[in-house]
Amino acid sequence: MKYVDEFRNAEIARAVAAEISSVTDPDRHYKLMEVCGGHTHTIYRHGIKDLLPDQIELVHGPGCPVCVLPMGRVDEGIEIAERPEVIFTCFGDMMRVPGSKGNLLEVKAVGADIRMVYSPLDALRIARENPDREVVFYAIGFETTAPSTALTLQRAKKEGLGNFSVFCNHVTIVPPVRALLDSPDLRLDGFIGPGHVSTVIGCRPYEFMPKDYGKPVVVAGFEPLDILQSVLMLMRQIGEGRCEVENQYGRVVLWEGNLQALKSMAEVFELRPYFEWRGLGFIAQSALKLSPAYADFDAELRYSTPGVRVADPKACQCGEVLKGVLKPHECRVFGTACTPDHPLGALMVSSEGACAAYYNFGRKSFEKVEIGSKK
Amino acid sequence: MSESGLPGYCTLDHGGCVVCSDAGIPVHVVSIEGDDALCEDRVGNRAQIAVELVAPVRVGEVLLTHGGVAIGKVTSRGEEDSR
Repeated sequence: MKYVDEFRNAEIARAVAAEISSVTDPDRHYKLMEVCGGHTHTIYRHGIKDLLPDQIELVHGPGCPVCVLPMGRVDEGIEIAERPEVIFTCFGDMMRVPGSKGNLLEVKAVGADIRMVYSPLDALRIARENPDREVVFYAIGFETTAPSTALTLQRAKKEGLGNFSVFCNHVTIVPPVRALLDSPDLRLDGFIGPGHVSTVIGCRPYEFMPKDYGKPVVVAGFEPLDILQSVLMLMRQIGEGRCEVENQYGRVVLWEGNLQALKSMAEVFELRPYFEWRGLGFIAQSALKLSPAYADFDAELRYSTPGVRVADPKACQCGEVLKGVLKPHECRVFGTACTPDHPLGALMVSSEGACAAYYNFGRKSFEKVEIGSKK
Repeated sequence: MSESGLPGYCTLDHGGCVVCSDAGIPVHVVSIEGDDALCEDRVGNRAQIAVELVAPVRVGEVLLTHGGVAIGKVTSRGEEDSR
């Protein structure tokens, strides 16, 4: 397909990798964070790390919306799903994300009507087809999936569907990035910006990163060459002493974003005063809830969810991995008590999760050898 | 599976992250039906995609979709910067 296949050209990838090496200072260590879980996935699937000089370390950021969801929100979803009048709908493996007393798949196994959907619009169709049941959609995701929820709710309102509601867990990307930049744990030299979030919000929201924190940002696409070129653009900025927001993903991302999508989101959502993030704690204005105009479709109001807080399992170190303080294989339960078949933490469930990427693409043994050999 | 032999990160049958659907899939528009369009991914899978947020669309255009909704258009705009 045009715009995809040419960004997987191995010959060009080798040339870009050579250029990255040529602008790398051999006496310096560079720490670059890819904010988005989709980037983590591309990096490991295509072996990009192996093409980069040893001096460049890629750190995985908080950009997987399932991984940052606190356990209490999973439990509240399960409570709604257990109601006999409810058809509960959610995306694929969300069903396997552990809550404190099990996951949605286990609740389904004992009789709850839980259905996997590909799109919130599928949930809307289920509501149309089942007028005597209450259909709830478990909405999750950054500004990439929030527009699809917004559009679905606009259609639901237009159709006057009274048996449809949304349990909203949408989060926004800029506040957690700011929280990371404020964190004393982490020293970063630059950021690979989330390409698909930026399709919606544009590049302007990242301008505070160079301006207030002195960190360069390159908004990047998701093919292997996109990642390599973004690393090169960051390395050039660092080498030339520049610090700005650049857009590598110009074929998709407009500087001002998708104004139609932003308008839909502004109508349907408003910012929550604060929201709890796994590993990062409470962050002000970092998540979305339904606006008063859509209160009739708000599952939190319809089912009076209590807003419980549940601590993560003690053995689980998802929080440290999310902040980039630990690499996935450095977690004490990685690959032993916590595997994709039996995940303890969300990072091992989600295919965008850093732990799942490490596990599925064989980074565990490689990293351990590499770290051992460096010492 | 994509033609590369890897599960298709960029295809409709395995839309990236199956947990949150939070992965963009490029598709091209086959036909337009009101606010929706029949779209096809790089390996020939077809799906009905809502296109209000990127309207107007034309047959043949490449769209970026998330969870059954198009959120952007893929164009040659900025290609010089991106290659």
